[in-house]
Amino acid sequence: MQRVRKGRTSLRLLKEQKWLFLMSVPFVLWVFLFNYVPVWGWTMAFQNFRPGRAFGDQEWAGLSHFAELFADERFYMVLRNTLGMSLLSLLVGYTVPIAFALLLNEMRGKVFKRSIQTIAYLPHFVSWVIVAGLVTKMLSVEGIVNELLMLLHLTDEPIQFMAKEHWFWGVVTMSDMWKETGWNSIIFLAAIVGIDPELHEAATMDGAGRFRRMWHITLPGIRPTIMVMLILSIGWLTSIGFEKQYLLGNPIVSDYSEVLDLYVLNYGIKVGRYSYGTAIGIFNSVVSIMLLLISNGIFKRMTKESVI
Amino acid sequence: MKVRRWKKPAWMGLALAVALAATGCSSGGEGKPAASGSASGGTASADDKQPVTLTMYMPQANPNYENMESPVGKKITEETGVKLQMEFVVGDEKQKVSLMAASGEYPDLIFGHGNENILVDAGAYLDLTDLIEQYGPNLKKLYGPYLKRLRWSKDDPSIYFVGSYGVNEQRWTPETGFELQHAVVQELGYPKMKTLQDFENAIKTYKDKHPTIDGQPTIGLSILADDWRYKISITNPALFASGGPDDGEWYVDPKTQKAVFHYTRPEEKEYFKWLNHMNDIGLLDKESFVQKYDQYAEKVASGRVLALADAKWEYGDSEKALRQDKPERMYGMYPITLNENIKYADFQSAGYSAGWGVGISKTAKDPVRAIKFLDWLASDEAQVLNNWGIEGVNYQIVDGKRVIPPEEMDKRKNDPDYFKKTGIGVYGFPFPQYGVGVKDPTGQTYTPDSVDTIIDNYTDVEKEVLAGYGAKMWKDLYPAESEFPVKPWGKAWQINIPQNSDAAVIAQKCEDIVKKKVPEMILAKPERFEEVWAEFIADLEKAGVHKMEEAFSALLQERIKLWNE
Repeated sequence: MQRVRKGRTSLRLLKEQKWLFLMSVPFVLWVFLFNYVPVWGWTMAFQNFRPGRAFGDQEWAGLSHFAELFADERFYMVLRNTLGMSLLSLLVGYTVPIAFALLLNEMRGKVFKRSIQTIAYLPHFVSWVIVAGLVTKMLSVEGIVNELLMLLHLTDEPIQFMAKEHWFWGVVTMSDMWKETGWNSIIFLAAIVGIDPELHEAATMDGAGRFRRMWHITLPGIRPTIMVMLILSIGWLTSIGFEKQYLLGNPIVSDYSEVLDLYVLNYGIKVGRYSYGTAIGIFNSVVSIMLLLISNGIFKRMTKESVI
Repeated sequence: MKVRRWKKPAWMGLALAVALAATGCSSGGEGKPAASGSASGGTASADDKQPVTLTMYMPQANPNYENMESPVGKKITEETGVKLQMEFVVGDEKQKVSLMAASGEYPDLIFGHGNENILVDAGAYLDLTDLIEQYGPNLKKLYGPYLKRLRWSKDDPSIYFVGSYGVNEQRWTPETGFELQHAVVQELGYPKMKTLQDFENAIKTYKDKHPTIDGQPTIGLSILADDWRYKISITNPALFASGGPDDGEWYVDPKTQKAVFHYTRPEEKEYFKWLNHMNDIGLLDKESFVQKYDQYAEKVASGRVLALADAKWEYGDSEKALRQDKPERMYGMYPITLNENIKYADFQSAGYSAGWGVGISKTAKDPVRAIKFLDWLASDEAQVLNNWGIEGVNYQIVDGKRVIPPEEMDKRKNDPDYFKKTGIGVYGFPFPQYGVGVKDPTGQTYTPDSVDTIIDNYTDVEKEVLAGYGAKMWKDLYPAESEFPVKPWGKAWQINIPQNSDAAVIAQKCEDIVKKKVPEMILAKPERFEEVWAEFIADLEKAGVHKMEEAFSALLQERIKLWNE
């Protein structure tokens, strides 16, 4: 009985909302066509794929590409670098923009606040090629940073920042911070604006100071935003691209600058091993999905809410 | 962190797989038959001038390219009916070619530029053997005995492309060497400049005397490690200083004709040891391994770098900036070697080496028109047009000889846009062409270059320096071509290791090791040098360098057989 009735309601629902359903069809198709159909290409990872041949003519290779991947020392090195740099930038890329948004929100002069915000997010539009040029120049032996350090007598000899392999992650993270802090804070600022001002008024009445209000009202107010952003970017941990590392890196620091995407390019596409490249792509996706699900699970347990 | 990414679908991690799959799947319809071959060929010649647009893949952007709008470009269209539509590459060529191969869609003409093996593997090219036989009299004349060098391999003796670079070229200027500012040798009274020790002494003496140039600290020797350029300025000089000709990553033993990965040679260890020593005594630019190409170029152009170890084409442009005001800060090229018994082999001839060239794709709409176009470009008429320009405008005929009037010559030398405006030279490389110094049936050279034009182009300072060394040209300082045998394998760097082979992966691994370890051994404390060298060799061996050498030697032997049978 119940089942029949349920079916009837969903049928009725379908009828009532048929226009809505129809409107969603193109998007469902779009997602299917561009996000699901290409997954077929994963078959390449299990073949010795050679371009220009029909699917049936390809030679099957089983899991050999994965075996080779997990046996390569270099793979672990690039994985370490990738995760290391993404975790660092996750850390800095959250705390700093949130702090910046909180502080900016407390500013009084509206014009001043706006101009600071604009100035802060402008570097986001500068391409990495230029940023890398600026950073290398500033950190070079005759660059401004070294001149400053010498002037303040903090060092007797210019430091070759770009030639210190252990500093490379730091250099990347700092340049990333310079470039993206303002931009990343926009969404938090928007969330802060959405907080009911009455809460602030009430707290002020109760004698809460600025920092108390920031801690007890603003921060909890934007917590859902922070969480959504965090979980989504955890899904991105393994795919950080390679442009900044590629542009800022040099042979001396290569053990700390090479990342997964560059590895795919050098050992996959460049030597014509499409299958190997695809195998890494699959590994990458599986890790990303796992990270996403795990972090969402933790979040769900902690807050009884789910982001995805 | 990346807020801007949050809207994108969460599947972006698959980007690579997705991109490859999307292109890979569509390549099903393989081996379209070559467009109806002889139907349009051979018949009336009126057909040959029907306007047609040929698309062309051109991995090296030519800054002078003028869309066939220049007088020379228009003349070519007028004579052949062909309008070229170039497709230049921005970014990594290999990637572009790989994706092109995966998609199976090609432009009419393809210039492989070192990635021919990917394209051949994917069956991208049309075999030109019969087309050349039927429609290519000028091509046959141009390549002459070297036509067989255009064949791909022993197993696949097809001709897939017509080779780039001048055939039978005579060389008058060195391409590589060790560079020293004219001011240095002039001040030191033209000291003997043969060995690394001579080179080092000159740099040291001058730098000690002049710690600053124009108020900025003097830099002794600057080398460049930006991306692939490390090969040009750091590792190639090791090969050259130890007497090897330019065979890229290889040194081929002339007796056994076996190839070794050139870094592993004990002679080159000496060179790297010398660089290590240069770094130790502060003559090596501290930023050598950190600087990017633009920083390097800027330093060279500032005139405070005393010495380089580079190829002319890499530092040439930066040097031009010095020509006007500081000609004494420009560079002379010296054939420096480890010791006086070694001959610097810059001028060793490789014969005609056809590793690269322009091919016709299997998807070309009209291969006959394409081959006729290439053939026309190899004709005497086109060669003169390409090199001299248009008669009566760019040159005149006086007493049956081609002469460039002085005012035109002046523009040719000094107007940076001259070639773009006139179109002269734009359709030379990578198309088939005669080499510099080759004579046409009237006894004149196909190119206007001659010994005299080169000497005319020297600055006064340069002439003084050359006189100081008792030479007329830089070439005179180098061991002459006649002192070396012709290399039967051509240029080894043009031999491609097949894609998707173990050797290709090992080559990539070795490249990474070289990139990492060579800077390390140069920057190490001198007492640690031996240790780092041993690690370097051990790493290469672990990566399988000998296996790669074997595979490459086999390819080399095959080529020697194919070319010299």
